[in-house]
Amino acid sequence: MKLILKHLFCAVFVLMFSACSNSSDSTIDEERPTISINYAEGFPQTCETLERGQTYSFRARVTDNAALASYSLNIHHNFDHHTHDDQGAQCDLGTIKDAVNPLLFIGNHTIENGQTSYEINISVTIPDDIDTGDYHCSFSVTDQTGWQSRTSVDIKIM
Amino acid sequence: MLVAWLFISLCTQASAQETHSLKGVIVDANSQKPIAGANIIGLNLYAVSSENGAFVIGKIPKGSHHFEINHIGYVTEQLTVDVQGNVENVVVQLKESVTNLDGVELMGKTEQRKAQELSTITVGVSKEFLENNRENSLMQTLRKIPGVSTITIGSGQSKPVIRGLGFNRVSVVQNGIKHEAQQWGNDHGLEIDQYGIEDILIIKGPASLLYGSDAIAGVVDIQPQKIPAPNSFGGEVNLLGETNNDLFGVSTGVQARKEKWFYRGRLTYRDYGDYKVPTDRINYENYIFELHENHLRNTAGREANASFSVGFVSDHIKSETFFSNVNAKNGFFANAHGLEVRNSSIDYDSSSRDVDLPFHQVNHFKITNNTTFYKGEHTLQLDLGYQNNQREEHSEPVPHGYMPTPPDSRERIFTKNTYSLNLKDTYRPVPEHDLVFGINAEYQDNNIGGWGFLIPEYDRLTVGVFVFDHFRIHENLHFQGGLRYDVGLVDTQSHFDWFQTPIDNADGTTSRVYLQRARERSLDFGNFSGSVGLSYLNRNTTYKINLGKSFRMPLANELASDGVNYHMYRYERGNIDLDPEQSYQLDLDVVQATEKFTLGISPFINFFENFIYLNPTPNYYETLQIYEYTQSKVIRYGGEAWVGSNVTDALRLDASVEYVYSRQTSGPKKDFTLPFSPPLSGLFSASYQFKDMAFFQSPRLMADLRVTAAQNEIVPPEEKTEGYQALNISATAGIPLFGKGKPAELRIKLNNVFNTEYYDHTSFYRFIDVPEAGRNLSVSMTFPF
Repeated sequence: MKLILKHLFCAVFVLMFSACSNSSDSTIDEERPTISINYAEGFPQTCETLERGQTYSFRARVTDNAALASYSLNIHHNFDHHTHDDQGAQCDLGTIKDAVNPLLFIGNHTIENGQTSYEINISVTIPDDIDTGDYHCSFSVTDQTGWQSRTSVDIKIM
Repeated sequence: MLVAWLFISLCTQASAQETHSLKGVIVDANSQKPIAGANIIGLNLYAVSSENGAFVIGKIPKGSHHFEINHIGYVTEQLTVDVQGNVENVVVQLKESVTNLDGVELMGKTEQRKAQELSTITVGVSKEFLENNRENSLMQTLRKIPGVSTITIGSGQSKPVIRGLGFNRVSVVQNGIKHEAQQWGNDHGLEIDQYGIEDILIIKGPASLLYGSDAIAGVVDIQPQKIPAPNSFGGEVNLLGETNNDLFGVSTGVQARKEKWFYRGRLTYRDYGDYKVPTDRINYENYIFELHENHLRNTAGREANASFSVGFVSDHIKSETFFSNVNAKNGFFANAHGLEVRNSSIDYDSSSRDVDLPFHQVNHFKITNNTTFYKGEHTLQLDLGYQNNQREEHSEPVPHGYMPTPPDSRERIFTKNTYSLNLKDTYRPVPEHDLVFGINAEYQDNNIGGWGFLIPEYDRLTVGVFVFDHFRIHENLHFQGGLRYDVGLVDTQSHFDWFQTPIDNADGTTSRVYLQRARERSLDFGNFSGSVGLSYLNRNTTYKINLGKSFRMPLANELASDGVNYHMYRYERGNIDLDPEQSYQLDLDVVQATEKFTLGISPFINFFENFIYLNPTPNYYETLQIYEYTQSKVIRYGGEAWVGSNVTDALRLDASVEYVYSRQTSGPKKDFTLPFSPPLSGLFSASYQFKDMAFFQSPRLMADLRVTAAQNEIVPPEEKTEGYQALNISATAGIPLFGKGKPAELRIKLNNVFNTEYYDHTSFYRFIDVPEAGRNLSVSMTFPF
C-alpha cells in the first residue's frame, strides 16, 4: 500500500512539474500609453482662461509602445471645487456656487491603424449662454491592450 | 485499486457475523468535562467522540476487543472490552499531556485528526492561534497560514484570498451556513465578529462538492462553538488597545449550561481612528496628497456586534439557535475614492476619529439553527439560516457625466436577504463507510437603492444535491469521493437611470432619455461537480491526493451590470451569456509531523475552463474606459511548503513559503496573469518560551519576519509592486489575578517594527499608491471568569 502510494505521489509530482515547465514566454504589453499637454501647442495649459463664444482646439500628445486605441475629452464644471488638476500648479479658484447651465463636453474617438504616436486635436466651441467660472478638463487615452492614462487641467471660462 | 477491493470484501465478510454495539463517553480526567473529537480506534473499528464526549461503535463482533483512545493534548489510553452483548456507559478518562501549548501551532486539537483524514487540503485553526495572532480583522489574523492572504481596505476590513483567488471564489461559512453579503464588491469586508470563534477549518482547494457554488479556491469554515460542560458557567472579557489607529476594543462573552440547556452571548465594540502610514505624502499618478501627521484621512471606523445563542443537548439530539448582528461604519480615504481624486470642503483633519464622507456602513443580521439528530447509524444534520445584509455607500453628491448633482449622499444601497437550508444524513452502514447524502438550498433576494448603479436587483435560487462517501479502507487509509448536481435560477430586474442622457438621433435631433442600465432577464444554470481523494496516515506522515471539480454561478453584476463606476473611472458591462465557471484542481499534500519537527508541502495545479474576468477594453463610454465581463481559460499552479522545529524545549523555529502562478491562456488578456495575484512570500517565525518570571506565567516571545518578493506579474490596470520585509514581534504571558482560577492573558504585539514603507499588491489602496500601515503597538488582556 505504502509503495503504491509513494509511486502514485511521484507520478503526480512529475506530472505537475511537466505541466508547469512549458510555460510560454510570449511577450505581453505591460506599458501604459503616455499623455501630455506639456508642449508648446498643448491646450489648454493649466489655469488658462477661455472665453465664451470662441472656438478652441484642445490638443494633447499621446504615445504608446505598441498601438494606441481610443481617447476621450471631458470638460465639466468645478464650481464645487470637487477636484483639482495634476499639473502641480494651484490655480485661484472662484467662490463655490451652484451650477445653472454649465458646459458639459463629452467626446470619445478612436485612433485608427494602431499608431504609436498621435496628437489629440478636438475643436470645441464654447457656447455663449453657459455658466462662467471654474472648469475641469480631462483627457484620457487607451492602448489596444487596455492600458489607460489620464491627465487633467484646471481652466476658467469667462 | 486491487487492494481497495480486497479491503471491501474483507469488510463485508466481517459485518456478516453477529454484532453488538459499544457506547460510552470520553471525559477529561481532571475536570470531568467531555472531550469532543477523541479517536477511538480498534481493529477495523473506529469512532470519534461527539460534542458531548459520547461515542458509539456499532457492528462489533463478539469477543475481546482492544481500543486505543487518543486525542491531541491528552495521553493515549488503552481500553480492552469483552463484547458479549451491547456494552453501554463506558467512561474513559483522558489525562492531559504536559506538552506546552504552542503559539505558532496552526492545528486545533480537535480538528487535527479530522483534517488529516480529509483528502482535501485542510488546515484547522484553533482559538489559541486566533488569540495569539489577532489582527484588526478576521482575515488579517488568518494571513499567517501559508496559502491564505487577504484583500484589505483600510485598517478594519478585509476579505479572504486563498492561493490568489478571492471575492466570490472563496466561500465563508459560519455555523454551516454560507455567509452572503456583497462579497463581489471591491470595498466590501467580511461582516463577522472575530471574537468568540473557536475553530476554523480552512480548505485550500476545490470544495463545491460539499459547499456548492463559489467554493472554487477554498472555504473558510467557521465551526459552531463547542458545547459547554454540564452545570458550568464561564466567560471572558477581552480588552484591546492599539497605537497606530488609536483603537480600543472590548469584547465579552459568557456561556452556561444546566444539564441539557445551554446558552451563550457576546458583545463586541471596537472604535478606531484614521490609521497612520510611514509617509507624509501620497504620490498617485501626478497628484500629491499631503498627509496630516501621517494619518490616512478618513479611514476611521467603528464596529458593534452582539450575538446570543440558546441550545439543547441530549443523547439523541443537539440543537443550537444563534442570533448575531454585526454593525460597522468605515470611512474611505478622503483624497481618492476608488481611483477618483477628490477635493472637499470637509475639514477631515480636525479629528482623526470622526467618519466623514465617503464612508460605508453595513449591518449584517443572522439567525442560524443547527440541529443534529443521532439515530442508530444515522446522523442527521439540519442547518437553517436567515441573513439580512444592509450595506450603504455614502459619498458627497457630485455631478458626473450627464448625471446632475444627486440630492443626497446615498450613493449605493444594497439590501439582501438570504434564506438557507442544508440537510445532511451521515449514514454508517458498516464501520468503514460514512455515506453522506445532502441537499443545500439557498434563496437570495437582492434589492438596490441610491443614485449610483452597479448591480441590478435580482432573485436567485440554487438547489444542490450531493452524495459522498468517506471510506476507511483501513484505519490509516481513507478514500473520499462524491458527486453533486446543482440547479440555479437567476431573475434580474430592469433598471433605468434617474436622470436623462442626451442621445443623438439618426435625423440629427437630440432627445433626452432615461437610459436602461439592466434588463429583466431569467436565467437558469445546471452543473455537475465532484471530487475524489485519498489520504494515508503513516505514523508521522500524512499523504493526500485530491482531484476536484468546482463551479461558481455567475453573479448578477457579471451577467447584467451596465453602468458607470465613477470612482474606478470605468464603465462596467455585464454579459448575459456567461456560463458557470468550471474549475478542475489536483492537490497533493505531504506532511510529516513529529514532536521535534514538522515538514510539509502542498502543491496544486488548477485549470479554469472559463474564468470570469472584468476585462479593461480599449474603448470608451462617455469618456470612461469600458470594462467587460469576459471568460477565458486560466491555468494556475503553486503551493505552500513549511518546516518547523522545536530546537530546544523552549525555542521553536518555523518557516513557510507560498507561491501562485496564474496565466490566462485564451481571451483578450491571453498570457496575462489574473488580477490581485499574490507575490512569492515567505514567513520566518521564532518563538521562545521563558520560565515563569515574577508574576508572569509561561511568558513567551515571538518574532515573525515576512519576506515578500516583488510582484511583476500584472494585468491592466494594475501596477508592479516592489518586494518588502516586515517584522512583527509579540509577547504573551499569563498573569494570575484571581487566585487559583485561570490566569488572565496578556498579549503585546508590535507590528511593522521598523515602520517600513511598503506596498501590499493585494490591498485595495495599492491602486492609489497608499503604503501599508506603519508601526503599531497593540496591547490586549483577556480576563476569564
